[in-house]
Amino acid sequence: MTDPASDAIIELAGISRTFGGGAGRVVAIDGVDLRVGRGEFVTLVGPSGCGKSTLFNIAAGLADADPGGEIRFGGQRHAGRDLLGRVSFMPQRDLLLPWRRVIDNAILALEVEGMRRADARARALAMMPEFGLAGFERHYPHQLSGGMRQRVALIRTFLFERDLMLLDEPFGALDALTRTMMQRWLLDVWQRHRRSILFITHDVDEAIFLGDRVVVMTARPGRIKLDVAVDLPRPRPAHVATSAGFLRIKSALLDAIEEESMKSFTMAGH
Amino acid sequence: MTPGRILALQTATILACLALWEGAARIWGGPYSVMPSVSAVLADMVANHAALARGILRTLTETVLGFAAGAAFGFLAGAAFAQFRLLERLLLPLLVVSQTVPVIAFGALVVIWFGNGILSKVVIAFYLTFFPVTVNTLRGLMSVDPQRVDLMRSFGASAWTLFWRLRLPFALPAIMASLLLGVSLSLVGAIVGEWFGDTVGLGIMLVQAMYAENMPRLWSVVVACGVLGAGLYGILAAIERRFVWWGREL
Repeated sequence: MTDPASDAIIELAGISRTFGGGAGRVVAIDGVDLRVGRGEFVTLVGPSGCGKSTLFNIAAGLADADPGGEIRFGGQRHAGRDLLGRVSFMPQRDLLLPWRRVIDNAILALEVEGMRRADARARALAMMPEFGLAGFERHYPHQLSGGMRQRVALIRTFLFERDLMLLDEPFGALDALTRTMMQRWLLDVWQRHRRSILFITHDVDEAIFLGDRVVVMTARPGRIKLDVAVDLPRPRPAHVATSAGFLRIKSALLDAIEEESMKSFTMAGH
Repeated sequence: MTPGRILALQTATILACLALWEGAARIWGGPYSVMPSVSAVLADMVANHAALARGILRTLTETVLGFAAGAAFGFLAGAAFAQFRLLERLLLPLLVVSQTVPVIAFGALVVIWFGNGILSKVVIAFYLTFFPVTVNTLRGLMSVDPQRVDLMRSFGASAWTLFWRLRLPFALPAIMASLLLGVSLSLVGAIVGEWFGDTVGLGIMLVQAMYAENMPRLWSVVVACGVLGAGLYGILAAIERRFVWWGREL
């Protein structure tokens, strides 16, 4: 029997992050415990400024956590910086390089890893149809719509083949229709590739529709407030959003989020 | 309007202005007038074409050498400052101070140090070029969006990879803008440098024509300087449009 804890791709235990000192001291996140299982899709929601991005930066190895917490990646203990290059990270903005064509933006991570350009391009080219980008390989980012740019950023993230993907509100800037299409499409791709995903969003519907589990964070300082399993069968049709199970989870989440949003609202308004 | 028609109109406008100039010079001007006619200037250019070509070649050489040296030094200095911020704190102020001295003020000094030949002009052209290139290289490299740097680091990029794949391409539009400025300044440096003593070059031809009060000659050299400046600028601008076009997209 395998220990269920060792089956996690990443486990954060007691992770905190404090900025500044003295009167300007800000505790961004405080004692966060979070676990993502292998192949699991976990969505993270919370009021703005709850430290979601800080948590992401720590999980990606871009920032150090305060001493005292523990990060286990693939069952082994790691200092934050060791995770650089081991987690596939997609920030909110697409951050495409304007001087590179779509195909060369897609292979950026592979190039950094030292793969030969021709090999990397061949791999990216094979994935283009699946990402709806066939025929656009030689376009420059400024010639694409927002939805397409986001797909280029996603293909870049997917081609950087790591067991864990961190997606920070990847569809936040898209219009509602494009967003729905992209969610369905992401689930489709995820089901075929079976990576572990930690996905930040503001949108409760999106969080439930996509996730195996939805985690709610509190207002600053960010803590885990709620961790709900989404027991809706996959594949999930669009009308799952009107099912009783979906609505039950949604109302529980909304209650928790509203409580936290009120807190951060009154904190900001004083 | 089609681009072809616009070009035709522009050409016609220029020709009309030249015709106006020609007419005005013929009506009011004499042989020693301050405004020689267009035809007189053209005639002088044809008659004097060998000396003019020699002058252009010499001044062009000075400009290009000084510009190349200034651009290379400016780029390396800017890149070093971006990498080692302490170096910037120590040395950049000195470079700023060096630029507060107008080049004319120590032109004579440069000629005494580097001789009466081509080297002293190259040095002056270099002096005018390197500073804007240094500043823009530094600014360009430092203005890279930290989120982009984070993304590259999350891929495991080294400082070297970061520089070549992200910082440098990001800075290129700013560097290119400084090169466009630098090449014009470099030409000024070469021309002014010749005033401190030389026998060949457009700058010295200007001085000779001035002392001889040879107005058609003065104008033909002015035109040559203009053609040289526009040509160098045009080449760099074409390179920018073709290879460094993403400035607006950053």
